[in-house]
Amino acid sequence: MREIVVEAEIAGTVWKIETAVGEAVEEEGILMILESMKMEIPVLAPEAGTLAAITVAEGDTVREGQPLATLTVG
Amino acid sequence: MGFQRQLEELEARQRAARAMGGPDKLARRAEQGHLDARARLDVLLDAGSFREVGLLATSVVPQDRDRTPADGKVSGFGRIDGRRVAVVSNDLTVKGASSSATNAKKIAYVKDTATRSGMPVVFLGESSGARIPDVMGAQAMSQGGADPQQYCRRRETPWVSAVLGPCFGSSTWYTCLSDFVVMRKGAVLAVSSARVTALAIGETVDPEELGGWRLHAEVTGLADAVVETDEQALALVRRFLSYLPGHAGEAPPVAEAPAEDPAAADRLLELVPVERSKVYDIRKVIGAVVDPDSFLPVKERFGRAAVTGLARLAGRSVGIVATNPMIRGGALDPAACRKVTSFLALCDSFHIPIVMLVDTPGFLVGVEGERKAAPAQIMNMMHALQLCSVPKISVILRKSYGQAFLNLGGGRNSNESAAWTTADVSFMDPQIGVSVVLGIRREDDPEAFEAARGQLTRGTSAYDMAQVFGVQTVLDPRDTRAFLIEALATHAAARGGGLGRRELSAWPTYI
Repeated sequence: MREIVVEAEIAGTVWKIETAVGEAVEEEGILMILESMKMEIPVLAPEAGTLAAITVAEGDTVREGQPLATLTVG
Repeated sequence: MGFQRQLEELEARQRAARAMGGPDKLARRAEQGHLDARARLDVLLDAGSFREVGLLATSVVPQDRDRTPADGKVSGFGRIDGRRVAVVSNDLTVKGASSSATNAKKIAYVKDTATRSGMPVVFLGESSGARIPDVMGAQAMSQGGADPQQYCRRRETPWVSAVLGPCFGSSTWYTCLSDFVVMRKGAVLAVSSARVTALAIGETVDPEELGGWRLHAEVTGLADAVVETDEQALALVRRFLSYLPGHAGEAPPVAEAPAEDPAAADRLLELVPVERSKVYDIRKVIGAVVDPDSFLPVKERFGRAAVTGLARLAGRSVGIVATNPMIRGGALDPAACRKVTSFLALCDSFHIPIVMLVDTPGFLVGVEGERKAAPAQIMNMMHALQLCSVPKISVILRKSYGQAFLNLGGGRNSNESAAWTTADVSFMDPQIGVSVVLGIRREDDPEAFEAARGQLTRGTSAYDMAQVFGVQTVLDPRDTRAFLIEALATHAAARGGGLGRRELSAWPTYI
């Protein structure tokens, strides 16, 4: 078991959280959606796993590289 | 028969050489699920096609002569799908496939023959580095470096590397010089091993962290593809070569054209949302445009806002360069630029036409990108695109903004371009333009902002472009495939036999 911190790949606003803590996700499954450059840009799971924590809330402004969630994998 | 003893001796020597590092070492490998150096060639090459050179070569060191079968590197020639290839398969069971005076000659012979005769070279990598003590001392070092062209890559023929175990030294260098690299999970690629590195820097080093597949697929971009098993790696080497010519003096092979599937064309209308705010996965669009199951992604996990890969259109090899709105909205960062540049060098070197599918808000701006020399990476990509003399066709699906418009084939940077009806092309979003040029922000003075925005807003549609011949065609998305097939035929450079100038052929294999 490993923990992966999922970071924002782009600056933006957290628009919608799509996966709840404790839920399983596939690789490339959508964890949340950021609003950036007038687009709805999904934050994808880098590997299949379980969402262990979400460190932002809907409406938060995030910068590139900011941790958004933690995923337990393996 | 006077030859009987002679023939028995020959057979005994050949048998001993084919026994590699002996049954114990081979059994241990088999337990780990890894093929040995000779079995790999059986899987890679057409059945019975391998013709070995240097089977009876050994170490030059007298006491090592009987324990260095083939001197740790199995070399020769064979066929893949009936076409000739040259191979070097490292045998880790013989002195860790370490580099020696004899096996360096074997590699040089295979490479030189492949270059002269026009066949791809396949390196099956697994080697520990220079052989100690052979290389110790100034005199031994002075014997090396005899070939001042050893590491020159002019891409006269394709080079492919499979990273199938610990790769240090020779296997690492040839991997870095290859046109395509497939890495098996569990393999490691680095300058030197975790053990040597740990001794040198006095810290423990985790092999996966030092040179594992995640590092090379996601961070360095050295691995073009990642697989689970030796067999999958070898199958992928065969598949990659199926898109390429045997050498740079001929056009790529042509496969049979599949029957046209109108349902795939109809799918395009579902795959791409008309709303600008919605994103989608461009890989699905590529799948619906090219011949079924023909897309082979290259560097899929690296610089993911760009998607690059080989595919076929009506049986003919093409290189796909696309942006993926799913990743950062399709905004290209320095890694994505490097990925495209290196892919352009591959396509230009081997006469593979380029198809660009564009939906990008532009280049990603920000401190992080500048620290990675974003402007230089953007210009490297632009420079590479302009040097490319293979046919270049671009299709603008939705957005194409700013310099990225040019970097992805806008203007005369492609031989022909088309715009979907959803295309939206400009220098930048007018809202940002108002703030930049006039210093007015909407929240400060909405009325003045709207007035100024009206002044900066220009037509950005496919029809605006078509009116000034900025694109040659406005497309119903469903006609994309048919358009590309015809446009590629129109620009096929028939006068030169479909061969380009190959100005990117000496562009570095890693950028």
